Amino acid sequence: MSVGEAEAQLSEDELAGLELVRESGGIHQSDFWKELDITSRKGSRIAERLFSLDLIEREETVYNGHNTYYLEPTARDLDFSKLMAGDMLSPFIGEEEVNANSNAFSQWLMNLAYEEY
Amino acid sequence: MAFEGLLNDPVIQKYLHELVGPTGMPVAAAPPDGEVTDEELAEELGLELNDVRRALFILYENDLASYRRVRDEDSGWLTYLWTFHYENIPENLEEEMYRLLDALDERLEYERTHEFYLSEPAGIRFEFSEAMELGFQCPETGAPLEPMENDDMVGAMERRIEELRDELNVEAKAN
Repeated sequence: MSVGEAEAQLSEDELAGLELVRESGGIHQSDFWKELDITSRKGSRIAERLFSLDLIEREETVYNGHNTYYLEPTARDLDFSKLMAGDMLSPFIGEEEVNANSNAFSQWLMNLAYEEY
Repeated sequence: MAFEGLLNDPVIQKYLHELVGPTGMPVAAAPPDGEVTDEELAEELGLELNDVRRALFILYENDLASYRRVRDEDSGWLTYLWTFHYENIPENLEEEMYRLLDALDERLEYERTHEFYLSEPAGIRFEFSEAMELGFQCPETGAPLEPMENDDMVGAMERRIEELRDELNVEAKAN
């Protein structure tokens, strides 16, 4: 199922929850339901559903002395264009080692500086 | 075709192209639903079997495809049945964002602590000690090497570092 298809199945509350996780970049479940102004039970149900649809990541954690979950956006929500400088992709892709002084990286940095000015 | 949403992203297309190269791109750009053999792909795409196999093994090395071997009972030959795993692309690119961020951090330090000289006609930059060894003369054109500011590059690097940290939820390094 694609992200779009999964999102189309969501209720309004679930969509609001997804937005909150994406905008915060990561939030504890105990803050999640408070921010959404819903009960903790409902918050837990929404997080559960978003996780089962693979729309968020969820990890057990201890926060303020309580067991809770940390909710995070999935990798596919990242802005991959941050790997680009102009039309050049990060030169480290497909390379085993990262060499910060390679010619290819210098070229990438020139593109970056040129693009931004 | 599967994974169309992902494949609409120009960065992802570029990423696949970077991995498999132009000859492998027809294979990488059109992942079928379910399993497929290398022979089927070669025939469907009108490609050499070797080119198809090369592309598939590169995808395999990058966790973007897997195979299982089945022995044909009549001929005794092994058939490779391939499945594409493009659901792993986002995690791979996330890892690349971390690698890029590390490289930018390291290089920023170098750019801030060194001085540079430029050969304008050749478009080559030399670090101060290199330039001094060369007598401030370009080894290719003989042109004098002129001092070069790198403020623009440093500024662009700082901005991209900030953007990557923001995307990845990474705290700034304490230094």
